[in-house]
Amino acid sequence: MLETHVIQAKAFKNVGDGEPSGFQVAVRCPYYRGVWASLLEGAELVVDGETFASDSVRWTLGGTTYTADELAESTDVRWPFEEPAILTVDKPGGLQPGLHEVEVAVTWRWSYIPVEMQPTTNISERKLVLVS
Amino acid sequence: MIDFGVSLYSYGGDFLVTMTLEDCLADVADMGATGIEILADTHIAGYPTPTAEWVDEWHRLVERYRLTPTCYSSWLDTRLRKDRTLTVDEAVPILERDLELAHRLGFTIIRPKLGVISLDLVPDPVWRETVERALPKAVEYGIRIAPEIHAPTPLKSKIVDDYLDLARQTEHFGLLIDTGIFQNAERSGTHSDSRYVFGNPDPALAAQVAREMSKPMNEDPADLVELMPYVFHVHAKFWDMTDELTDPHVPYDAIVKVLVDAGWTGSLSSEYEGPRDLYRASDMARRQQAMLRRLVAAQAAVAAP
Repeated sequence: MLETHVIQAKAFKNVGDGEPSGFQVAVRCPYYRGVWASLLEGAELVVDGETFASDSVRWTLGGTTYTADELAESTDVRWPFEEPAILTVDKPGGLQPGLHEVEVAVTWRWSYIPVEMQPTTNISERKLVLVS
Repeated sequence: MIDFGVSLYSYGGDFLVTMTLEDCLADVADMGATGIEILADTHIAGYPTPTAEWVDEWHRLVERYRLTPTCYSSWLDTRLRKDRTLTVDEAVPILERDLELAHRLGFTIIRPKLGVISLDLVPDPVWRETVERALPKAVEYGIRIAPEIHAPTPLKSKIVDDYLDLARQTEHFGLLIDTGIFQNAERSGTHSDSRYVFGNPDPALAAQVAREMSKPMNEDPADLVELMPYVFHVHAKFWDMTDELTDPHVPYDAIVKVLVDAGWTGSLSSEYEGPRDLYRASDMARRQQAMLRRLVAAQAAVAAP
């Protein structure tokens, strides 16, 4: 099952063997349907005021990890409605345990909205706990 | 006969948060509705290639809750690639794939949401040849293809006329009417708990877009009369229901009159698009279903000789 919020409390953690090399956050599709990966134009993260640009965010969908550029080529890969994407960024040392202000801006194309009003960006903010 | 149905779109806030697919189907059955509409990209786990187990489970659920699959709503994402829109050769297999899956799941209508090329929502011209080339599969499966007439598209428009041109040539192509076009009262434009930016982030433009997307379109239900032979399915759109079980935004008495007087056969599919507060959709859908049943019965009594 999913949490209501686009930004999920589950799976927020540091990554890397031993000394953390970065962190990850799980994000459910903010649309009311799952989408093809090639419709995605990236996601920008802001954590405690530090911005991680969309081209530095790696996406894990269905167990496979993609760069933002690789997503654009992936017309047969899905971001399923039922499965949050894991967004991972590099940050030597990772994040400190405790509460963090997390903002995620996901950008993607809708085909049935006039191109003048595209792409669509969903901006979500949530305080997340990094336990350890 | 008019079928009372529900689109699972209505459960947008609850689906996979407070309710599983089975919970949604059980809720639809509990309120006495019989038609079930799904969004392929949302409600089919593993879309577009669900496991055989998922498909078996779908059939078990539909049988258990005595539901009839009505409309399979899909998308033709003409902007699948960033650098260019889809060609007909690329679009045909997408529509055919959805026709096959819709058929496997027992649906008899498919709504491909078409990509657009203009501010007034003219569909990408690939639609016509794409549909024509997929028609043999639709005929083989007994499925009717129905693009959606949705605000801000008027009933009297070149868009509708172009669809009718094909609809007059084949019984397997017609219209899906979203009753949001008949909205005749102001409503709040928000139903999300997070912020969206459509294109240019200028706040004044965003306010204008929100206004355009929520203002009354005031189409006249009487203009539906001549279209009724081509209407396969109706999205009974609503954003709220009062405690008196009336809709404050959409004139359902006039809409139901057109449907009943036409002797229409199809599904009135509740499509709740109001606030996504948890547990709200079930209550709202019951209110609308009660209203629709009352209006259909009253009009049928008037229409009977």
